[in-house]
Amino acid sequence: MFSEQAAPTAQGLLSPPSAEPPTFPRVPVSGYSDCSQPFQLGERSFSRQYAHIYAVRLAGMRPGLEQRVRSRWGNDVALRKLSELQAGEKCCVIGTLFKAMQLQPSILQEISEEHNLVPQPPLPKYIQPSDELILEDELQRIKLEGAIDVQRLVTGTILAVYGSEQDDGRFLVEDHCFADLPPPLPWNGPSSDRFVLLASGLGLGSVSGEALLSTQLLVDVVTGQLGAEGEQSCAAHIARVILAGNLLSQNTQSRDTINKAKYLTKKTQAASVEAVKMLDEILLQLCTSVPVDVMPGEFDPTNYTLPQQPLHRCMLPLASAYATLRLVTNPYQADLDGVRFLGTSGQNISDIFKYSSMDDYLEILEWTLLAGHISPTAPDTLGCYPFYKSDPFILTECPHVYFCGNAPHFQSKLLQGKEGQRVLLLTVPDFSTTQTACLINLRNLTCQPITFSGFGADYED
Amino acid sequence: MEKPRRITDSFPRRRRRGPGRPPGRLKDKKDKDKVQVKVRDCPRDPSEPAPDPALLEMLRRFDLSWEYGPCTGITRLQRWERAQELGLSPPGPIRDALLEHRDNPDVTYRWEWGGGQW
Repeated sequence: MFSEQAAPTAQGLLSPPSAEPPTFPRVPVSGYSDCSQPFQLGERSFSRQYAHIYAVRLAGMRPGLEQRVRSRWGNDVALRKLSELQAGEKCCVIGTLFKAMQLQPSILQEISEEHNLVPQPPLPKYIQPSDELILEDELQRIKLEGAIDVQRLVTGTILAVYGSEQDDGRFLVEDHCFADLPPPLPWNGPSSDRFVLLASGLGLGSVSGEALLSTQLLVDVVTGQLGAEGEQSCAAHIARVILAGNLLSQNTQSRDTINKAKYLTKKTQAASVEAVKMLDEILLQLCTSVPVDVMPGEFDPTNYTLPQQPLHRCMLPLASAYATLRLVTNPYQADLDGVRFLGTSGQNISDIFKYSSMDDYLEILEWTLLAGHISPTAPDTLGCYPFYKSDPFILTECPHVYFCGNAPHFQSKLLQGKEGQRVLLLTVPDFSTTQTACLINLRNLTCQPITFSGFGADYED
Repeated sequence: MEKPRRITDSFPRRRRRGPGRPPGRLKDKKDKDKVQVKVRDCPRDPSEPAPDPALLEMLRRFDLSWEYGPCTGITRLQRWERAQELGLSPPGPIRDALLEHRDNPDVTYRWEWGGGQW
């Protein structure tokens, strides 16, 4: 976007300054509504067990799955509960998947002192050939085997399997299906070019300051202080900025105060204090010019369990004076100019990455959309609030833009569904390592990466 | 020099003696027994009639029926409403009974493992 429209006016930088500097009004904010109420927790009570969230997940997704089953395997397919299974009868069962993994980190193994085991180091992937899939419904469970990819699937997915029970008590799967894409939302997108900038993983407070120049360049481009008139008029089309998590770097998470002796850590300040001050200054520059939505991420000072609650505005005293700053939850859902955005800061995708053979973040993102659930591994391996009434991570409507932050690379794909759904799948890369942000055009749902870099060590003149 | 003002100057600590003694002071042994008994007794409004065992039996059966999901950690009314929203059509008389005996903890109690709040 920037290069095609800005290049002709680059000569303007070489001409003397004009008497009247041109002004570029930013595209007005219209049609914003925050739809992330299900992710906002009011009073939190942890005196419940997690059985409730699995029960409502199954009960909530069962009707949709039954429809899919009938459309896929015929109207007369036998839908059975596990307790009604008869050996050899071809039928369909809907249930929750559980993957028994040998390498899955278990707190019981860690504290088992009799074995004197060293706690298992974190591995990039915990999959093993010996993993097994078990299907559970409300009352029973059964082992699955057959035409089902054990390595690919993760615990917590609701799916329907078609097959028959064998004599040895296992279920031989011939085919399986997920909830598939949720029903589409009507399209009310803008008719002119309007852009949303998505960035994640700013990583403030890290030891190396390489990404700071790129962050400042990003802020300058968005606020229109960089480039000739062409770039400035392009930047005026940026309607919103969404920061998708990990605003603070992992280095701010050091737990020295717990591990080291008290006399060494008495006068030290937590690294996150300085990092949050830096974040406040950056957000102040952004908020004076453009509406910003700030989502918390894995290393940000908010709660650990999903859904993460918004950062508190007392941490950002300078920036929260502006109404353009919106502190939002993770996952985040909103209607921007008639385009429904839904996304997370990436914890759900990276958790599935650890427990599945899928390697590509975009593939995992697409799979969660087809499975109908934002994060099936919560609460098994990803911390989750013990919901009891309904599972807010179930996808009930198909968003127009579905993103995940803190991915290793930038990837995007436009997915077309059978019922007319059009979804832009987007993995936003980690800014502190890739210095790349994403620009989404709301008019035609296209996306392009925009990279900022200063002079690197290998720059040769 | 003027004595520095303390908050206790405005609200001086007084030792209360006599008939104006606040309740709960277990100086009197007879009072002590009465107070203890009151606490042990169910905090039920004495004007309300005790729910009959058939009602409690119906509620227990509602708790143990697996169709409406787990029963631990939430009140029966919350469980009923959740079942209603999920379309599992829980029986209406249960809700009427729960609303009628709203203040009775035997009727509304949440199932807790180990009998206590975490």
